[in-house]
Amino acid sequence: MSNNILEVKDLKVSFHTYAGEVHAVRGVTFNLKKGEALAIVGESGCGKSVTSQAIMRLIATPPGEIKSTSSILFDGKTDIVKLSDKEMENLRGSEMGMIFQDPMTSLNPTMKIGKQIAEGLIKHQGLSKQAARERAIEMLRLVGIPNPEGRVDQYPHQFSGGMRQRVMIAIALACNPKLLIADEPTTALDVTIQAQILDLMRDLQEKTGASIILITHDLGVVADLAQRVVVMYAGKVVEQGSVDDIFYNPQHPYTWGLMRSVPRLDNDEKQELIPIEGTPPDLIAPPKGCAFAARCPYAMEVCLEADPDITKINSGHSASCWLLHPNAPKVERPVEVGGHHNG
Amino acid sequence: MLRFILRRLIYGIITLWVLITLTFILMHNLPGDPFANSQKLSPEAKATLMKTYGLDQPIWVQYGSYLKKIATFDFGVSFNYPTRSVNDVLKQTFPTSAELGMYAIIIAVIIGLTLGIVAALNHNKGWDYVAMLTAIIGVSAPAFVIGPLLSYFIGVKLGWLPPALWKSPEYKILPTITLAFGTLATMARMMRTSMLDVVSQDYVKTAKSKGLSRFAVVVKHTIRNAMLPIITILGVALVNITTGAFVVEQIFAVPGMGKFFVQSISTNDYTMIMGMTIFYAALLIVAIMVTDVMYGVVDPRIRLAKGGK
Repeated sequence: MSNNILEVKDLKVSFHTYAGEVHAVRGVTFNLKKGEALAIVGESGCGKSVTSQAIMRLIATPPGEIKSTSSILFDGKTDIVKLSDKEMENLRGSEMGMIFQDPMTSLNPTMKIGKQIAEGLIKHQGLSKQAARERAIEMLRLVGIPNPEGRVDQYPHQFSGGMRQRVMIAIALACNPKLLIADEPTTALDVTIQAQILDLMRDLQEKTGASIILITHDLGVVADLAQRVVVMYAGKVVEQGSVDDIFYNPQHPYTWGLMRSVPRLDNDEKQELIPIEGTPPDLIAPPKGCAFAARCPYAMEVCLEADPDITKINSGHSASCWLLHPNAPKVERPVEVGGHHNG
Repeated sequence: MLRFILRRLIYGIITLWVLITLTFILMHNLPGDPFANSQKLSPEAKATLMKTYGLDQPIWVQYGSYLKKIATFDFGVSFNYPTRSVNDVLKQTFPTSAELGMYAIIIAVIIGLTLGIVAALNHNKGWDYVAMLTAIIGVSAPAFVIGPLLSYFIGVKLGWLPPALWKSPEYKILPTITLAFGTLATMARMMRTSMLDVVSQDYVKTAKSKGLSRFAVVVKHTIRNAMLPIITILGVALVNITTGAFVVEQIFAVPGMGKFFVQSISTNDYTMIMGMTIFYAALLIVAIMVTDVMYGVVDPRIRLAKGGK
């Protein structure tokens, strides 16, 4: 039990809009072990960012609402959903840090880099300005910024995108948090810089032992950094398991679709990428059955009527699909791009 | 930075020269002349006067000698009040106008920004509506409506404050409010929009994710960035306040420059028109220059873009 840094149970988040209540996250459950890197994947609007922001309690309420039946147990004892704002402030930044998608906009343009790193240190660790500044320089060096003594007094516009993301990582890790949430940390960067940032994150995870939640829609990034994967669709977890489980033995048709829509470099055959047809359902009025049924080539009658239960494949691998029911017809997993199954 | 200021200074002087030339031409194309109103004047006497003031000479000669004179900051003697030089009038009346203007801009900035911030932090709640209602009244009701209303109700009916004149501090409250109101309202609306824009920026989310208190997030990360666009309109606000002062000074019988400026035009008081125009123009050019420099100080991105420190 205490092996988990984070236990998310039945997390439900809604946004109250003029059009109605948008059920962005509809009962998400997953655990994160200490020192583990977990990836949350899914297409835009599936609720992965909302999930991560709910964990940080960064969702503006109103219009957002984290349902009171949800629980997010941090470090085995603190339920984030029930914390007061003040208690949450003390947790944020010190115990958990966050990196955002776009490094060009996520730093304050009128504040020196050093000060932006130091702020959290002064607040959470009670450091003096001077001590915090020294620690900021140390952090800049740690994230691989050359000449940190000179850079510490510069402004964000004097840094490139990749360098800014390094600064963001420095801010997030300044207080040695136990949990780092990275919301698409490489999406806005070009490919060579992406690789550097991922290397840096892996490196820092080893050094600090922090657990990571990585939000992404890039399966390449998942394979690179994560040990476990949560696949989300329309505000629900459809499948979760280890990287090997998800990549080599996926069970949910949506995961199959995701795998088939990504190009592979490990074979020379002519490749055709197969998109998942259709669009995700409207979350103002989510379907009563499986949310993926409308786009699923294997959908049965029951899929439209009732939501499937979670089926355990092995100890860490589970999926929610009627095809896994003992009475369901056996469906052959479609051949992936590249023409062969691994595993 | 120094090079930037120097360059702006040269531009300022060129602007001023264009302005002087245009005003000079326009003024001499106005019907009548400075002595048209004095009917008692015999043609001979008028000719003598014209000669004394050099008005009988071709216009470009007058223009040349005028430029020479103002290069030594000599704006000449008023045609309307022959006992007073334009410089005297400026010396006498400018401090009052400046005082009124200063109060007004300080009040407008402080209260305007506060209203904007309060409105944005209570977006779509009671205080937002109160602040924006005030702002809409301020934007839509001109000083010549608000001024007499304040003067009549607060000054005459209720008797809380003196309705006019410019003596001890309590006399200065109503004119200041009247003059500040429009600018205050613009500031409040701008600040609110700007705050709402900044609040949804990613870096504000970053600041929150560091666990900073709401107060620290608002003060350190939101307000400073939200103020950047306000600084750009500060120059314009200053222009509005100085020109608005003409009206407000009339309403409250404040002995400022406004009266002389308006009168000088209707009486064709050439030296006074030129003197006042040049003085105001120079003042505003300097004010806008200062705003630009200030913008660079507050926003580090501009500082660099303008060619280094």
